[in-house]
Amino acid sequence: MIRFENVEKWFGPLQVLADVSGEVRRGEVKVLVGPSGSGKSTLIRTVTRLERIQGGRVLVGGADIAARGLDINRLRQRVGFVFQAYNLFPHLSALGNITLGLTKLRRMSRAAARERAMEELARVGLTEKANEMPGMLSGGQRQRVAIARSLAMDPEVMLFDEPTSALDPEMVGEVLVAMKRLAAGGMTMICVTHEIGFAREVADEIWFMEAGKVIERGRPAELASASAHPRLAGFLHMVGHHR
Amino acid sequence: MLEILQNNWLLFLIGQYPHGPIGGLAMTLFMASISLALCFPFAIGLALARLSPYRWLRLPATAIVHTVRGLPLIMFIFWTYFFSPLIIGRAVGGVETLVIALVVYEAAYLSEIIRAGIEGLPKGQVEAATSLGLRYWPTTIKIVLPQALHNMLPSMVSQFVSTIKETSLGYVISAHELTFAAAQVNNVLLTQPFEVYGILALTYFALCFALTSLARFIERRISAGRGGTPGVMVAA
Repeated sequence: MIRFENVEKWFGPLQVLADVSGEVRRGEVKVLVGPSGSGKSTLIRTVTRLERIQGGRVLVGGADIAARGLDINRLRQRVGFVFQAYNLFPHLSALGNITLGLTKLRRMSRAAARERAMEELARVGLTEKANEMPGMLSGGQRQRVAIARSLAMDPEVMLFDEPTSALDPEMVGEVLVAMKRLAAGGMTMICVTHEIGFAREVADEIWFMEAGKVIERGRPAELASASAHPRLAGFLHMVGHHR
Repeated sequence: MLEILQNNWLLFLIGQYPHGPIGGLAMTLFMASISLALCFPFAIGLALARLSPYRWLRLPATAIVHTVRGLPLIMFIFWTYFFSPLIIGRAVGGVETLVIALVVYEAAYLSEIIRAGIEGLPKGQVEAATSLGLRYWPTTIKIVLPQALHNMLPSMVSQFVSTIKETSLGYVISAHELTFAAAQVNNVLLTQPFEVYGILALTYFALCFALTSLARFIERRISAGRGGTPGVMVAA
């Protein structure tokens, strides 16, 4: 579904992705962990060309996203992206945030878009908040609206960029529940997160990144063995300690 | 002073109308409003061009804005006054002249306000729209401009206040506005310029002060609204 081939990216003289390769197959959930600045967010942002890469290739459904003639906006409709800061449109209601893409891109009628949006809001348990403005919602509710906004476009893949990092602890759970349900439904997902419990439960594979490289990969079940994955185990120990 | 006002209030308000052209405060407000309204599309165009990734759009727009902002308004009024008849081929009245000059002048200033509004938006807004698959124009029209213009409402009201004061320059080309009306009154009375221009000053002040207060009020409302949406502040 998504393949990274020797991806290289620099911010000026600073290399943020160094020879990253890897594959995410349909229906798989990959979780990216690692210290901040290790390139996790940048890596998933390359998938929809929010970040350009300077070397290597990123393929989505077999198509090189940098290829000439590829309609990147069409591709972006197939790849949902959830941000740390939610990035809801503050001047539109929860419902308006979701229907925008449907009416503008899917050419749905207002009524049809509304119906579709309500379906997604129901899925994240926010039916009664449909007409609220984002400013009136809690962080957890905002992030769930953001997830619903992405899902309404029927994406084939969902990318999550630290979706719970900006949330107060008591709101993390409600967002993770929505994500787990999504994973259980067979959605292909790449999640950048520090929620190790979530990773253990849902991930097919965990990638540990440091200094722009994926330095260790493993199934969650193997995580316990510090001998096989010393760096990852060390990092998890540290993260666990601070919680 | 009161006596002057009693005898001439109608002239201050609407000029010689209905016995002559409409003028006075009514014309001042009309010219300021219509100028700002007409310059709006130009200002948005200039702002977007200045933020464009394309040099061939960015450079000319930047040059225009810097040139206009680097010249006094009276220059534009004279240029319009002397050159537009040559271009159009007929005489152009004072009001039209002033409005044309103001549209050019204000477009440059307003475009800077709009540009600041756009640049002030969190980067995540455009990224979220882009990630949905929206192209440049739907993103600009549905996401960027509504927020940028809303946030910049106080600055736009302030710009309206400046425009009102700038219409007084219309006096030099006999545009029938508030200052022109005051001058007419003064010419009739001859001996009371202090009182007449005192009334003029008070009128401008009351109008502009009221509008500035309105701008402050809107500003408070908007920042209160922002306080309710801390989500945009945490963008990492």
